Amino acid sequence: MGAPEKSENFKQRAHDALADPNLKTAIERTTGTAETKRAAAIGAFPEFQAARVRGAAIKDHVIANLDHYLIEFERNATEAGAHVHWARDAKEAAAIVTRICTEAEAKIVTRAKSMLGEEIGLPHALEDAGIERVETDLAEHIIQLAHERPSHIIWPAMHRTREDVAELFFKDHQPPPDADDPASMVASARRVLREKFMAADVGISGANFLVADTGATCTVTNEGNAELSTTPPRIHIVTAGIEKLVPSTDHAMALLRLLVRSATGGEVTQYTTFHCGPKRVGDADGPEEMHIVLVDNGRSRMVGDEFRQMLRCIRCGACMNHCVVYRQIGGHAYGGTYPGPMGAVLTPVLDGLAASRDLPHACTLNGRCEEVCPVRIPLKTLLKAWRVRSWDSQQEVGAVRMGLGIWGFAARRPRLYHFGTRLALPVMRLFGKGGWIRKMPLAGGWTETRDLPKPAARSFMSQHAKYGNGGPK
Amino acid sequence: MSARDDIIAAVREGLKRGQGGALPRRAPAEIRAEAAALLAGLDEIRPSLVTPDPVEAFIQKCANPALGVTLDRVAGWAALPQAVTGYLDRHELPHRLAVSGDPRLSALGPGIETHAPCAPDEAAAISIASWGVAETGSVVIHSAPDQPILNAMLPRHWLVVVEAAKILPFLDDYATFASLRPRNAVLITGSSGTTDIEGYFVRGAHGPGFVHVLLIG
Repeated sequence: MGAPEKSENFKQRAHDALADPNLKTAIERTTGTAETKRAAAIGAFPEFQAARVRGAAIKDHVIANLDHYLIEFERNATEAGAHVHWARDAKEAAAIVTRICTEAEAKIVTRAKSMLGEEIGLPHALEDAGIERVETDLAEHIIQLAHERPSHIIWPAMHRTREDVAELFFKDHQPPPDADDPASMVASARRVLREKFMAADVGISGANFLVADTGATCTVTNEGNAELSTTPPRIHIVTAGIEKLVPSTDHAMALLRLLVRSATGGEVTQYTTFHCGPKRVGDADGPEEMHIVLVDNGRSRMVGDEFRQMLRCIRCGACMNHCVVYRQIGGHAYGGTYPGPMGAVLTPVLDGLAASRDLPHACTLNGRCEEVCPVRIPLKTLLKAWRVRSWDSQQEVGAVRMGLGIWGFAARRPRLYHFGTRLALPVMRLFGKGGWIRKMPLAGGWTETRDLPKPAARSFMSQHAKYGNGGPK
Repeated sequence: MSARDDIIAAVREGLKRGQGGALPRRAPAEIRAEAAALLAGLDEIRPSLVTPDPVEAFIQKCANPALGVTLDRVAGWAALPQAVTGYLDRHELPHRLAVSGDPRLSALGPGIETHAPCAPDEAAAISIASWGVAETGSVVIHSAPDQPILNAMLPRHWLVVVEAAKILPFLDDYATFASLRPRNAVLITGSSGTTDIEGYFVRGAHGPGFVHVLLIG
């Protein structure tokens, strides 16, 4: 398992990602399909805009009353027989989970994909405790074999081609898959993981929702791995961020409609499961113990400032599927747990701005993420807020400050600005061939991995000066 | 202070800061009323049924190839064994099913061998769902002594019985029953699937690759 990389080496990783043509193909295949399927699902749901306004209002209501809902959830989950634990930060959360596992003398632990689990470093913590960790989501299984981190919050192995997966499975699966087509490889993973499901001592899941009035946690999957991870073992552990609360199952349903359409373009996932306490007397199956770890890790800080709106996030991944930057560089380049636009807002909270100040800058501010966000998070505004904080806290390096200073000086003096562009554009055109600039002095940072459009023969300003507002006759 | 106290104090501190220094204490009833108001006018925020009759809408949803479900209408409980045998024959499966302790399943007839519990590599199992949901084509099971969750997850073929009278129009109509608070409430919509390898849809990832709904009445 690759350790989360430092978000501070973003520029180098983005550069390497841009130079990898296979990566771009792999990302484009899945994000392209996701974009098309989401558009179809939203098209068939005319109430979507009204539903997302309501979804945002539900989340805002929960955050405004978060203390109330945390206490209500704790009371009801405890009444259902679950043990509720609280963790201030990632380290504390991972320690609670590993302690439960070691006290139970667990040898095999199955995990159903959870980004919160990644955030708190659970994979590492379990391995350090000498516990066999089995990732059961197919994509998580792939990246576990490849010793990698997820590159997307819905499709963690998005960066891996079919050929990559075949190579991993033929090396590690005993017996190996029958063939290298996706169906045979899925069948092979089913065979291999089935034994682990039944042998596990502990099953760990995340939660898409924590339902305050029942004390239940909710998971959604298409594969069925959450139910198989949480039913056979003796112990079920849930790790969840404190922002996952909803007042009731009814509210969860309203958000579920938004989540699934935005994530995969389905109306609902194949499996939507509410887990409420351990096995009851006489129940045919289920775990004997259920533990729920409520994780803060920076969230309570967000309650008090503009980043409160980020606590609406239901982790659908639509923002990254529609992000022009994510689609060029993929998820690993971001370095933190969460990639894409939502990651660029969250990572500075989790890792600190000093280590991640490049992330809010890796954005064109085209606003696509905001348009598709099912809970209307103003991602563009929040990214700009980080830029302002980064500037105000003097974290921008001297060259950037100086460059922006010069630009700002010129931009406030239109004549000087137009004089400058009149000089620069004809020079740039000298380097252009067939409409594109492949190489140009001082522009290596741009042209090394992509071409620059050749400036038009006549600038807008010069044409405007000549023709006025009516344009050429 | 315990982690719990610290977190709740930090949340309250944040709320205070966010609301300009004061934390308005509101009665739980007031918060509940505000939460309920957020669900007013549900028709404005949910899709309409493909057809007004919930049973007909459920059938049409199940016919959507994306769900990977087949459906038989069965006249009544007495006709269930014949419908089950028909399905097993169509798929060239032995007349052998994992069942729960529900007495309605132990009487499937002399031609079908039933057993429990469900084996990890079971070919076929049958369950009785408590409800169906017309909006999505889902069936709902609640864990219980006679409702093992694994019977719905382990087999290659999962047969599920649901009564037409138990088809609810919307997900919200099921939410009412969440107050029963079983250990597990599972809404199952079609067969298990994955798109994790290059976005190719493959059926039968971990759960059943075949789901067959037997709609009674």
